[in-house]
Amino acid sequence: MRLTLEVWRQTDPADAGRFETHVVDDATPEMSVVELLDRLNESLVEDGREPFAFESDCREGICGACGVTVDDRPHGPQPNTPSCHQRLSSWTDGQTVRIEPLRSGAYPVVRDLVVDRSALDRIVQAGGHVAIQAGTAPDADTTPVDHALAEMALDFAACIGCGACVAACPNGAAHLFVGSKLTHLASLPGGREERGKRARAMIAEMEQDFGPCSSFGECADVCPAGIPLAAIAAVNRERMRVVLRGKND
Amino acid sequence: MADPQDVKDAEPAPAPTERRPLPGAEPAALTTGRVRDARVRPAPKVPSWVLKIIMAVTGTVFALFVLVHMIGNLKIFMDPEHLNTYAYWLRTAFEPLLPYEGLLWIMRIVLLVCLVAHIAAAVMISSRARASRGTHKRRGMTNLRSFAARNMLVTGTVLLAFIIFHLLDLTLGKAVAPSGYQHIENGQAYAYENVVASFSRWPVAAFYMFALLVLFVHLAHGLWTVVQDLGATGRRTRAVGLFLAGAIPLAILLGNILIPIAVLTGVVK
Repeated sequence: MRLTLEVWRQTDPADAGRFETHVVDDATPEMSVVELLDRLNESLVEDGREPFAFESDCREGICGACGVTVDDRPHGPQPNTPSCHQRLSSWTDGQTVRIEPLRSGAYPVVRDLVVDRSALDRIVQAGGHVAIQAGTAPDADTTPVDHALAEMALDFAACIGCGACVAACPNGAAHLFVGSKLTHLASLPGGREERGKRARAMIAEMEQDFGPCSSFGECADVCPAGIPLAAIAAVNRERMRVVLRGKND
Repeated sequence: MADPQDVKDAEPAPAPTERRPLPGAEPAALTTGRVRDARVRPAPKVPSWVLKIIMAVTGTVFALFVLVHMIGNLKIFMDPEHLNTYAYWLRTAFEPLLPYEGLLWIMRIVLLVCLVAHIAAAVMISSRARASRGTHKRRGMTNLRSFAARNMLVTGTVLLAFIIFHLLDLTLGKAVAPSGYQHIENGQAYAYENVVASFSRWPVAAFYMFALLVLFVHLAHGLWTVVQDLGATGRRTRAVGLFLAGAIPLAILLGNILIPIAVLTGVVK
């Protein structure tokens, strides 16, 4: 399979950046987008040229390190699939694949396809964790947790923090990311005690880098962890709850 | 195995090119992966979540108003006197508790306050959205849902223009009003006659129908956004919200668009 690649080249954060065109002759449909970049980089190195910098770690869709915009869509054309699982069977012989970094005002490009996603880390540092002394693991069922609730919390805890939701949003909003954290941490006994304090801190931090949500729904279409769109509503629900309740829990 | 000597003999790697410093960037961005600690904006005085709630509440007020307005409009299909009596009743409703036109003025003031708040919040929200998105806009959204979402500012502006036109046409009876516009006098309203006179001009009827389609698009996405902004996360609540976000705009569209069609086809005259 012969594919033409337009790949974003940017030497450093100050560089304006541009697309470079390369051809990969020996692509196969079962290769992933990340493997396509590997193949391209191999041939560039063989020719003594600079390979493209990109992030990738587990390559099984659970780490959230990889993430590039493929043909204008974060991660790629397959919905709810990380870049490392986007197969080239989405394209046919002779087509062009355009690969650029995840785009957001909050994600400055470090180099080529690598962006700085520390704005997401700052939100987690602000309150996306359990900060109380939880002690040692309790015996099973000393604190009963309803099975349906536990499953719901796990659905929202599935977020791998790749940040594609922000890149998919025309507003650069991080509501799917923040909403998923707020929901799962508020559902279970460990995180419940700081529910209000957490919502206030995380949303205040979010507002400095990320945009407002206009319900485009694009985030939930690209999310490789399949976080439900309901997460975006959790942001305002949790924030209003603090106002009405006026307490830290 | 390659002789280590070969490696030494290889050409030395070219020196890395000079890198221009980025304003606010840590010099070690390429080694630490951290470009800047500066935020896109300082903590806003009025947070975006408050602006979104303002938009949701004021938008809901508009939606309920146009729904009731549409139900009142349907009286045109009963008989001329029915609509005219209703139009006059709106002015004398709750007398003597309220003065003449008291109910109307309460509604006008509430709607005007909502309009100012809705537009101001929309402008602030969209400017924040642009800043957070950065220079590379999202491309490649082609589905119908995103069409409505992307064009909220456009459809909103069209609706604002329509509201001004509509007030001049059928409330104030100025400028764009039909030549035979009749004001209320001696306890008699001429709402029926004015509507028929106005819609008998086909470009005006076409503009009303176009505005109603725009209203449908704006309201359908607006009401679905209300579901998010007011924090409905439950599965059933969201399903009901999604249904209402489609059903209310559709009812408003169908109920209202029948009127210019009826006037143009001569069913109502």
